[in-house]
Amino acid sequence: MQEHDHPSDGGVSRRGLFAGAAAGALALTGEPAAAQRCPAPPRAKGPLVWLDLDQQELDDAYDQSVYAFNAKNIAERQAANNELALSTIGKPERVAYGPTGIERVDIYKTKRPNAPTLIFIHGGAWQNGRSANFAVYAEPFVKAGANFVAVDFNSVRETNGDLFPLVDQCRRAVAWVYRNAASFDGNPDALYLCSRSSGSHLAGCVVVTEWVKLGVPLDVLKGAVLGSGMYDLKPVRMSKRSAYVKFTDDMEQQLSAQRHIDKINTPLVLVHGTLETPEFQRQSRDFAASLRAAGKPVQLLVAKGYNHYEVGETIGHPYAVLGRAAMEMMKLNFG
Amino acid sequence: MTDSVLSADVERKAAPGPRPKGPLVWRDMDQQELDAAYDQSKYAANQAQVQERRLVASARARAVLGEPLRLAYGAGAIEQLDVYRTTRANAPVNVFIHGGAWRNGRSADFAYLAETFVRAGAHSVILDFTNIDAAGGNLMTMAKQVRSAVAWVYKNAASFGGDPSRLHVSGHSSGGHLAGTVVAADWRKDFGLPGDVVKGALLCSGMYDLEPVRLSHRSNYVKFTDEIEQELSALRHLDRIACPLIVGYGTCETPEFQRQARDFAAAVAAAGKPVQLLVGEGYNHFEMLETLGNPYGLLGRAALAQMGIPSV
Repeated sequence: MQEHDHPSDGGVSRRGLFAGAAAGALALTGEPAAAQRCPAPPRAKGPLVWLDLDQQELDDAYDQSVYAFNAKNIAERQAANNELALSTIGKPERVAYGPTGIERVDIYKTKRPNAPTLIFIHGGAWQNGRSANFAVYAEPFVKAGANFVAVDFNSVRETNGDLFPLVDQCRRAVAWVYRNAASFDGNPDALYLCSRSSGSHLAGCVVVTEWVKLGVPLDVLKGAVLGSGMYDLKPVRMSKRSAYVKFTDDMEQQLSAQRHIDKINTPLVLVHGTLETPEFQRQSRDFAASLRAAGKPVQLLVAKGYNHYEVGETIGHPYAVLGRAAMEMMKLNFG
Repeated sequence: MTDSVLSADVERKAAPGPRPKGPLVWRDMDQQELDAAYDQSKYAANQAQVQERRLVASARARAVLGEPLRLAYGAGAIEQLDVYRTTRANAPVNVFIHGGAWRNGRSADFAYLAETFVRAGAHSVILDFTNIDAAGGNLMTMAKQVRSAVAWVYKNAASFGGDPSRLHVSGHSSGGHLAGTVVAADWRKDFGLPGDVVKGALLCSGMYDLEPVRLSHRSNYVKFTDEIEQELSALRHLDRIACPLIVGYGTCETPEFQRQARDFAAAVAAAGKPVQLLVGEGYNHFEMLETLGNPYGLLGRAALAQMGIPSV
């Protein structure tokens, strides 16, 4: 369940209650496939609170479980695939990038010397996920000749609803990798970033970092592939995610990457699936449009027929949207 | 808003209510349950979406790999196959047999499976063959075609740089059924070829005993006979199986498709033949095949390992 974006206040969601039935034991419920579907009774639309969305629509637009009926199944297979990948590539080296217990990176080393490195920031609605869950994303890169570094950082549940510590940790992790790349035979001048979901919000904040203050070059990140993220926190703040993130005006302003485009020195690839929530599709589209308008290098990839979690799965797939984009960005020879 | 939002809503339909159970027709199933157990759409809510992404990925793969060689293995117009060539000389060959309830699917729509093999150093051959409606409901016609296609590849592999002594077969869904009939073919009697033409096979989400299939609504479009049921149930010809098998299914498949795989693998093992049962946790029928197109996916990894060309 490590990949889930379920906001904690909502419990398992309407759909989560039904998803398991698809796995086997089958009651006489008429059409079995209905067991995977979220029942959504018709209701009257309320006053608009954001664009053309009323409050419930906005809340739903920031609740992946409403739009991804198979979230639970995907979490199951991710866990199984992670075990398989770990058994193939072995456990990573776990190294501290900061003073607190969680400030660790998992380093999956490739065999190639002075290799490029992909730094990964996981999703989970800022609440869930640990670096250990992502060996499954590491394997294709390690085999293709790149190091893979999965960043651990606090959950927003551990920071009293404050997103600043999470962003600060991810920024310091990147600076640490730059300074210490040689320690794992990585090339500090070939660092790349990859992320999904709330991790892409954090990655958006990372690419707008004032690197000089951290003592690393402006172009420390040579490229970034951000899947299914949020780049403007205003509508997020208006949604039910406010129940567990203590948004402030300062936080909304500083941690909305879309408002700091001038600081970006990294070419970006933005990805969303056509089955994601309307807001998660719009966030990527609008961020891409803003970057383009500012003359910054950006590519928007739309994955037809993929929901939020299915887009994430493609990081571990060299021939699907996120994996292929990252491989191409890093100029890896993936076969 | 956009079309894509509407298509997400497709997955949110309400469930109909319960109904009384009818007389049992197969194991613990009444007719409606058996029919549903042989109807993927009843269990895979995202069937249309997975198909959509398969077509996009196949177009992408053809753009990346280039158009395949198109070669004829028989006289009929449909009796052709696509060869996606690897650069390695005298390379192993994987022959893929597509699914589609025996009714649908064309080789070009499965190009996305080729990249895994081609990049790992194997040729990927994807078969075209007739569909059950064009065959007048006769499943034997389809089985004969795929068997003769495999025989053709064995005899002609060298013409496209393939090594006939390293020929592997894979199939999914009704193509898993047909691949089962390939590994259970009588190569000597029917083709005058050695019994070990196929060196390994991956059968995913298939049917290996046609008895319950015959009892289901699929009888409406497949003209089952006793002979077809007997000859084309791989489960009943275990003695002919001469290569290691990988049998796969997903835990979100219909109960029958799960059982077919489990029972077949158990029978093959009981006959003392090498078989590996692969269970895809959290995958439905269509999602299972997607993992064959990923060298690090459940099926892709297993197929490459079986061919002795592990993911790079």
